[in-house]
Formats: sequence, structure tokens, C-alpha cells
Amino acid sequence: MTLITGKHLPRRTFLRGLGVTVALPYLDAFVPAGKQWIPSVAGAAPDPTRLVAIEIVHGAAGSTEYGASKNLWSPAAVGRDFDLAASALSPLEPYRRYLTIISDTDVESAEAVIPKEIGGDHFRSSATFLTQAHPKQTESSDVRAGASLDQLYAQRFGQDTPIPSMQFCIENVDQAGGCAYGYSCVYTDTISWASPSEPLPMIRDPRLAFDQLFGAGGTREARAERRRARRSVLDFITGEVADLRRTLDPSDRRRMERYLEDIREMERRIDRIEAQNTSGELRELPGAPAGVPDSFDEHVKLMFDLQALALESDMTRVFSFKLGRDASSRVYPESSVAKGFHPASHHGGRENNIEDFTLINRYHVSLLPYFLDKLLSIEEGGQTLLDKTMIVYGSPMGDPNVHNHKRCPLIVLGGANGQLDGNLHVRAEPGTPMANVMLTLMQRLGFEEMQRFGDSTGAFSLSA
Amino acid sequence: MIRKLRAGMMPPPGARRPAARALDALAESLEAIIDARAAAAPNPGWRTFQRLNRAEYQRSIHELLALDIDARQYLPLDTKSANFDNIADVQLLSPMLMNSYLHAASEISRLAVGDPNATPGETTFKVTRWVSQRDQVEGAPYGTRGGLAVIHNFPADGKYVFRVSFHHETTGALHGSGRAALHTAEAPEQIEISIDGDQVALFDIDRWMHASDPGGVNILTDPLPVTAGPHRVAAAFVRQFEGPVQDLISPHDWSLASTSIADAYGFTSLPHLRDLAVRGPYEPTGMSETPSRRKIFTCRPAAPGAELGCAREIITRLATQAYRRPLTADNLDGLMSLYEAGTTAGAGGFEAGIRLALEGILASPHFVFRFEEPPAGAGADTTASSAAFTLDDFDLASRLSFFLWATGPDAELLRVASEGRLAAPDELERQVRRMLADPRAEALATRFAAQWLRLSDLEKIHPDVRTYPDFDEQLKAAMVRETELFFHNLVRQDRSLLELFTADYTFLNERLAKHYRIPDVFGNEFRRVTHPDAARQGVLGHGSVLTLTSHAIRTSPVLRGKWVMEVLLGSPPPPPPPNVPDLEETAASEGGRLRSVRERMEQHRSNPACNSCHRIIDPIGLALENFDVTGAWRIKDNGVPIDATGELYDGTPLSSPADLRQALLSRPTPLIRTFTENLMAYALGRRLEYYDMPTVRAITRDAGTRDHRLSAFILGIVNSPAFQRKGDAAVAQVTDVNGEP
Repeated sequence: MTLITGKHLPRRTFLRGLGVTVALPYLDAFVPAGKQWIPSVAGAAPDPTRLVAIEIVHGAAGSTEYGASKNLWSPAAVGRDFDLAASALSPLEPYRRYLTIISDTDVESAEAVIPKEIGGDHFRSSATFLTQAHPKQTESSDVRAGASLDQLYAQRFGQDTPIPSMQFCIENVDQAGGCAYGYSCVYTDTISWASPSEPLPMIRDPRLAFDQLFGAGGTREARAERRRARRSVLDFITGEVADLRRTLDPSDRRRMERYLEDIREMERRIDRIEAQNTSGELRELPGAPAGVPDSFDEHVKLMFDLQALALESDMTRVFSFKLGRDASSRVYPESSVAKGFHPASHHGGRENNIEDFTLINRYHVSLLPYFLDKLLSIEEGGQTLLDKTMIVYGSPMGDPNVHNHKRCPLIVLGGANGQLDGNLHVRAEPGTPMANVMLTLMQRLGFEEMQRFGDSTGAFSLSA
Repeated sequence: MIRKLRAGMMPPPGARRPAARALDALAESLEAIIDARAAAAPNPGWRTFQRLNRAEYQRSIHELLALDIDARQYLPLDTKSANFDNIADVQLLSPMLMNSYLHAASEISRLAVGDPNATPGETTFKVTRWVSQRDQVEGAPYGTRGGLAVIHNFPADGKYVFRVSFHHETTGALHGSGRAALHTAEAPEQIEISIDGDQVALFDIDRWMHASDPGGVNILTDPLPVTAGPHRVAAAFVRQFEGPVQDLISPHDWSLASTSIADAYGFTSLPHLRDLAVRGPYEPTGMSETPSRRKIFTCRPAAPGAELGCAREIITRLATQAYRRPLTADNLDGLMSLYEAGTTAGAGGFEAGIRLALEGILASPHFVFRFEEPPAGAGADTTASSAAFTLDDFDLASRLSFFLWATGPDAELLRVASEGRLAAPDELERQVRRMLADPRAEALATRFAAQWLRLSDLEKIHPDVRTYPDFDEQLKAAMVRETELFFHNLVRQDRSLLELFTADYTFLNERLAKHYRIPDVFGNEFRRVTHPDAARQGVLGHGSVLTLTSHAIRTSPVLRGKWVMEVLLGSPPPPPPPNVPDLEETAASEGGRLRSVRERMEQHRSNPACNSCHRIIDPIGLALENFDVTGAWRIKDNGVPIDATGELYDGTPLSSPADLRQALLSRPTPLIRTFTENLMAYALGRRLEYYDMPTVRAITRDAGTRDHRLSAFILGIVNSPAFQRKGDAAVAQVTDVNGEP
């Protein structure tokens, strides 16, 4: 196939610009403009919706009584004629035709059920966002929550891409001393669960993410050579594992069975990449970004660059992205608030503190347009990539001052292949589980038969 | 309960208190009953196999290939449990982890063997904003300031381009070019790039450079020839001034901890290096000898027919070390077929074959995992749960070396193991003492003690730049180094554990000594310094511990108290109930006067819901109130004289760090046992269970008869059945690693 015109930069040009300024998007222009979507493996839906699930911790100022009265998150009017001026969502005003706001749903599963769990909200909350399941209080490996929305989707609709899904995060996750309140750190470190007992680690380093998405090696030939080597090594490991299983004790042997599945998964990935390479697609991929940037802003943008590039080149269709870490005291200078995230979230119910906290909420939301613009700039057949994408953005916490999980912030962005109208604000009845919204989203994503998700009590009407 | 009794926390403060002797007798009789039962039916415990974590992987690569890598570049973060990152049952496996090991194997094998056909790549080394760039940094040439010095592994002989980039203002202007800049057109700031100490490039810095320029705030060198292998690369500013600077403010020693006040009157601002990138190789010309290649290619095929024999020799040696036990015929066959595949693919040849075999070794489960196999014929072929067994000598050697060195066994250990002599008590003790004397035993300080004492928490602490302007990243690093050197010294000199709390000496460099106001310490080197300051004695006087338990702008008696209870006494306080008002909720000022932390604490504690726990936690921390956020000594807080008085949970009055130390040492059992428990969990790679406590008590009792020497604890653990035997998974009642019952 021919490539249509191009901002098609050679790799060296890319390297020269790398890491030079914060304003330049790192990974722009490396995928040839106007590239055809890669036809997927036969039998799969032609162009499934891309899913990006983004979590921010610590709820929102708008979830407080005062915040609600001032419309600091949810606008006053429901329907299509809502005003975002006062809301932390105001940076999304230009994108309102892609914006669906769902107000006032609760994440009951993040609340304490037994007395021993009281107070552990920060260390359990993130595990509930995409699972809507109550995490088991344990520090051992017997962790349990639920399969997460992104993973259920990837397991059904993400299998045709070289990588079914990827998990990104921004904050450093290695908290010294493990985590508190009898909760394993994985509940705080990740939002993606392959099954109720399989939390997935999230990648913080853009370099690591890059290598995993596009493979190491400076050239196409080098990458092909590495894939050949990888195949031989995988064969070799398979042989070693077969020998080992004879000598291990039964529990260890079960663990090796799991490992063997991982080996097969690696082989499948190589197969898929090679299937793509023989599909006639010629693509020069950029070099890898250098590492984790200092600045939150820069880091988030780089991770969005990678997501947009991966979605565009169809390396994967599913992302989860964790923007914060519970109880993080990170300061966001760009928000103009000098207080740390966690201290500021304990606003004490004071109006001026709540207003300050809104500024942080708005700052986080203000990072989204960068990503939305990227997806909008990629057009194909009269549709932009944003039209084909569903972005879920929200928090499993409501009012962080009291660690509650009521009236939690939740928005959905993108057209989701015609499944979302946009320009819509829906307010839930008091006590409606967020899981109901997730259930409806899953149904619209293609799980028509799904009756229940997490602690859902029924579907949720997403209409004006 | 025994733990709380021993700590003196039971009965709780306020309740009627029997005589100390009666309480001790109660604890002792309870212990005796439990220990007797345990002796009758010992349970060595069970854990699944461990995998190499980042630290172990990095050290293993160093030992195997004489190659220093940063494992953070390759492997995902290790999950911690019970303080440590080597606890087997939370080391979950996933395709992503698998991919990381495969990727690392591929990259590291290429780096070690070298790749004359390497395509250009880029490696970036960042300088954090919190580093002061006023003075010479370690490894950079004398006469320079700031910048950084790193060891970089060059993949091939060839030409490399070095890029330095500078910090800029939010406006895009180069930082340090404004009103208060020192450099002028006549005397511009200069930056020098050097390799192994030799200057290879010197640039004037254009003070008007701007982020919106086509090249940004960067300078690129011409392609410069460099040989393969590790070289020290430094990028540092030429120092253009000496002497004190009288500025109104100097946040964190003129680091960029705060960028908002960086360019103002009364503030001398200088350009700061943001990162250094190395790109290349361009026009690679071949491979010079490197330490890694010397380690790998111990033979060279003299004739075409000799290749196979030489390859077998190299692969056998490397794989034996990597797998930490002799190779089986199957192991070697698999690796040799990788070698064959490598020689025929692509450019091919002998080295390509060795490289692919090395990739296989590094990706092999025998290297990545630490299996402990039951002895042959012990029913391993059946599906039934296997019985407890004694580890063979090779597995024992691995446990020993990962415990003491955080890496695989060396040749000597493997030799003794292969002769079947390691388990003999005399030989085992001889080996332990040999290993403790080896520099690699630093791992007990940098890995065990650093995790136990939570030194990594310091990474997240950035004291307020205006209140603590003298703090900077170098000081923080010095604090961590102090505690690590101090602990390593206890190990090396085989001192008493109690010196951890009582030592009247520590390890300081000039920067840290000034911070502690200890005179006559000059230069960057750390050295042992004896000091008379009673408040500073032991680890409770270390800046590291005092800073990591503080908030950015104020001390936290609660965090300090909690740290002592959790880390030293092993009795964490219960979590606070939800919806408690934070200390920040208490008024920070009263009638226009700022209140001290103590005053705010008192107000906080007037809430009865808080008081029941805080009356135990707070006095511990309040006794340390004379140490500010950065561990410097102070006599006032917000203008109010420090009041460090309080009453320990057992009623002992406290008014200083020395009082606290004495009170804790008057009842040393919990301190010693908590240390032992942590050391044992780290050694075993599993959390301790109730059935381990009799062993812990036996080890501490025995260590008591040997002056609490560090070697007594280490040998006690090494000689315990928990260390030398692997139990029955079913008996140990451990849930399956995959969460299945």
C-alpha cells in the first residue's frame, strides 16, 4: 500500500527532539498520516471500540454538600443544556459533544463491611473502581476483588491485537513497608484485574511501555531478528519447564503451569506481530522515550502519546491508566494549589478548602484535552479515532474528607462507535450503584447478554 | 499478647499495674508453654519458590557478567509484604513479568557480548530537581559544579553523540539566565563533558537559549569516538566562583526544589543540568575488550573445529553459576542447541551463538526462579503433598548467599556444596563468617536494614523549601548512607545489636556533620566519627529516621511514635477510626501567634476518641521533638520552646531522646525479638507465622549469651530448621499462590 503524504519523520529526527522540551509531543508524526486501519484477524468485529479507563483517586470537591450546591463537579441542569462554567469539568467544554456526565452514583463496594475494615478506604478504593467488587482484606497472595471492566473487554475483544491490553500508571507504587490496614499493596497499585484473584501490574516507565508495545531493536530487521531469537528462547524455556515439573512439589508445580501459560501467551504475541508485519503494513516506529519524566504534566502527556500511538497502530485496543495513588501527597504546581493532593483532599468541610480542592480536580481534568485532541486528529473514513473510542474517567471515592464513596465523579468521553451520544448529563437516583453504569457501558461495548456487573442492581439509562 | 506484655504496653496506661517482675514472669511462663509444645512438633514452614527481584537480579548480573545494569530499567516493581521485597507468595507471575524477563535477557546478553552491528540507541540520565548544583558532585572532575557523573555501558566501539539539556523556566527561558545570573557575554557559563576524566567537549552556554528554539535548551556534541564497555561519563559546569553567597533565600541549597522562586532578586541563579543523553553508536567499528567479554570469552576457538568445545566450556561455566547448581545433561543440550541456532542465524558465527545461549541462560526459569527441589525419590512424582525435607547443599548455598549477599553463591560456596560439606555445622559457620567479612555483605545493610528501617520512605520526603532551605538531595542521600554504613559496620565488626540504639559513633561526611553540628569533619568521604552528644546516639538520632517520619512542614510525633512501635517494637498501633479530624484541622495559630506542633497535638488529643491510642503513640514521638523535620537539633518550634516531656505507656517519664532510648532499652526483649523476626522473614522470604515464634525466642535467648552479636542472630537463623528445611505446604496451611484453595 502507499502511504499518504506525511509528517513521517525519520528516527534520528525523532531522537534529536526527544526530551528537549515539555511542550513538544514526543511521539507525534511517526505513524504515517492517513494510515489504513489494520484489518483484524478474520472472524472478529471489523473495528471494535477502543477502551481507555482512567482512574483518579481522592474523589472530587463536587461530591461534598457545599460542592454540589456550587456545581463544582456536576452541572446544575441535566439533559443537554448544562453549564460547565463552575465545574471542574470546564476544560471539557469544547468537547461536550463527546462528553457524558453521570452524576451521583455510589461505589458501595469500597465501603467497610466489617469493623476491621473501617478506615482502610484508601487502601481498598482503587481496587473497586473498574471491578465494583469489594476487596478481601488480606496482605497475603489470596487477594480477591473482581475482574475489571477493561480486562473483561480485552478478554473478549482485545485478542486480535498483538497485546490484548496495557496498564499504565503515573505514581511510584513502591510504598515502603507495604500497605496499611491489612490490605495488600496490589489493591492500591492497580485498577486492572484479569480475574478476581489476578491483579495486573501497571507500567510507570514510558520506556518500558514503549519496548513492550513496539519491541526493542532500532530497525525493522533488528526487531525481526530479535523475534526469531525470542522464539528459540521460548522453545528452550518450554523444554526446561517440562523437566522441572517432574521434580517440583504440587503447589510449586501448579505455579509453573501458570508460567507455562505465560510462555504460550508470549508465543501468541509474536505470532500476531508477524501476522501484522506480513499484512503489507510498512511502518517506521519511533525510538523509545527515555524514562520517567520529573513533571506530572509531562509524564501524563507522554503516557497519552503512547496510548494514542498504540491505538492508532492497533497494537492494542484497551488501556487502563491510573493517574494517582491513594494517600499521595503529590503537589501539582500547575493547579496553583500549594497543598499536597491528600492533605488538600481532607478539606475539613471548609468552603475555601473545598474550592482549592476543585482546582486540583480541574487540573486533572484539564489533562484530558491533550489526549482527546490526539484522537480527534486521527481520521479515517470520515470518523475520528475519538468517535471509535470510549474513555471512562472517574474516581471510586466521593468526598475524600470523610473517605466516603457516595456521589462519586464519573464521566465517559468519546463516541464509542455510535454507542454514546455525548453532550449529556444524567443524574442518578440517590443510592444508585456506579456498577449500574458500568453494566450499561459493558452492554454497549458488546456484552449485550451481561445481566450483572459487580454489585449492580440493574442497567442504567443513558438518555436525555 | 506476649509481645505487648514484653513491651510494657499491657496493661494499658491508666489501668492498675502489677509489679514489673510479675508481668515478666507471666510472659515467661506463657512462652515456656508454647515453646515446649513447638519443640515437640517443629514446623519449618513452607513457601513457594522465590523469583529474583530487582536487587537480586542486578547483583546476579554483576557477578555473572561483570556488567552493571539498572534493574529498574527492565523489571517491574517488586511487591512488598511484611516490609520486604523478597516475600515469595506475593511474587505473582504474569505475562508482563515474563515479557520483562525475556526482554532483559535479550538486552543484557547483547550488552555483555557487545554488538558490532548495534543500531543507534539513546540512554538518558536524569538529574532530579532536588539536587543542589552548587558544588562538585561525586565522580565529576574537580573544579566543576553540579551536573552528573555516570557509568555508561557503550555497546560497541564507534561514535557517540552526547546531549545535555538544561532546566528552563515555565516561560521557556533558560533557568539561571535572568536578573540574578552570574554569566555575561564576556564570561559565559560553560559545561564540560568528560569521559573517564578526560575532557572531550567544552561548550559556552548561550544564555538566551529558549525552549521554543529549534534545538530547545540543549547542546549536542559532535559524534565522538568511544570504545565499547563501561566508561564514566560526566557532564558538569565549569566552576566560576568561590566563596559564600549572601542570598535572601536559598531553597534547598539552590536546587530547583521550588521553581517558583528561582529567578528573583536576592537569589543567585545558575543554569542547572536537567539530563544527559548518550546516543549511538554511529559507524560502529568493532568491539574492544570489555570486562564482560573477558568474563564470558574465557576461551577462543583456535581452529574452526574447536568452536563447539570452546562454546561448551563457556556455556557450562556461565550456566552453572547462573543456575546455582551443576548442569544436567538436558540443561546443557538445550543451551547448546540455542548456541547452534545462534551461529547459523543472520550474520551468525561463534559470538552470536554464545550470545543466544546467554539469552537463554538469563531467561531460563533456573536462573529467574529459585527452586528448591525435594531429594530424588521423595515422592515428588506423585501428586500427593510432599513431606518436609532437608534442603540439599546447593539450595542451602543459595539461601545463604541470597540472605547475606542478595545474589547467588560464589565459586567457593558452590565448591563446598558440591563436596557435600556445607551442611556440617562447623563448615556452615565458617562459610557464614567468611561471607560476612566479604564486601558483598553490604546487602544486609542496603537491602535488609534499609527495608526494615524503611529508608526508602525518604524518597518521597521533600521538606518545605522555605522552612528548611538547607536541605537538599545530597543531604538526603548522605542520611541514607549514614544509616547503611552504620549498620554494615555492626555486621562487619560483629558488634552487639544493642549498639544500634546506643552507639556513640556514627558515619558522617562533611555535609551531614555540619547538619548535626559535629565539628572537624571535612570532605565528601564518610568516616567513623565518635561524638559525645547523648541525643544523637543510635539510630533514633539518625537524620534518615527522623526525616522519613516527618511531614514537609512540621515534625510528626505521631509518625515517629508509630515508627518506633511498628519498626522497633513490632507492635503497630491500631488504625485511626474514619472521619477523624486531621492535625491540620487544629488551628495552626492562636491570637496571631503560630502554635507549636506540641500545642496542636495537645488539642488534637483532647478528643477522647483519639486519646486512647495517642497517649501511647505520642509521648514516644514527643521525646524526639528537639529534632526538626530534617533531623537537625532545635530548641524552639514556631517560637515556642520545645517541650519534649511526656510519659511512656508504662509510666516512665520522658523528656529527651536519651530518656526514650533508656526507657526502650530497660526492656530490650521486644527490640531484639522484632529485629530477629524481621531478619528471619527476610532470610526465609516469607512472613513469619505463629509457629516460628518459638524459634525467634530461641535465637534471641541464645544471642543473649553471646553479647547480642550480629553473627549470633545470623547464625541462629541459618542453623534453624526453618532455614535448612522446607516444610509441607499442607501443614504450613499456606493458601495456594494463585488464590485457589
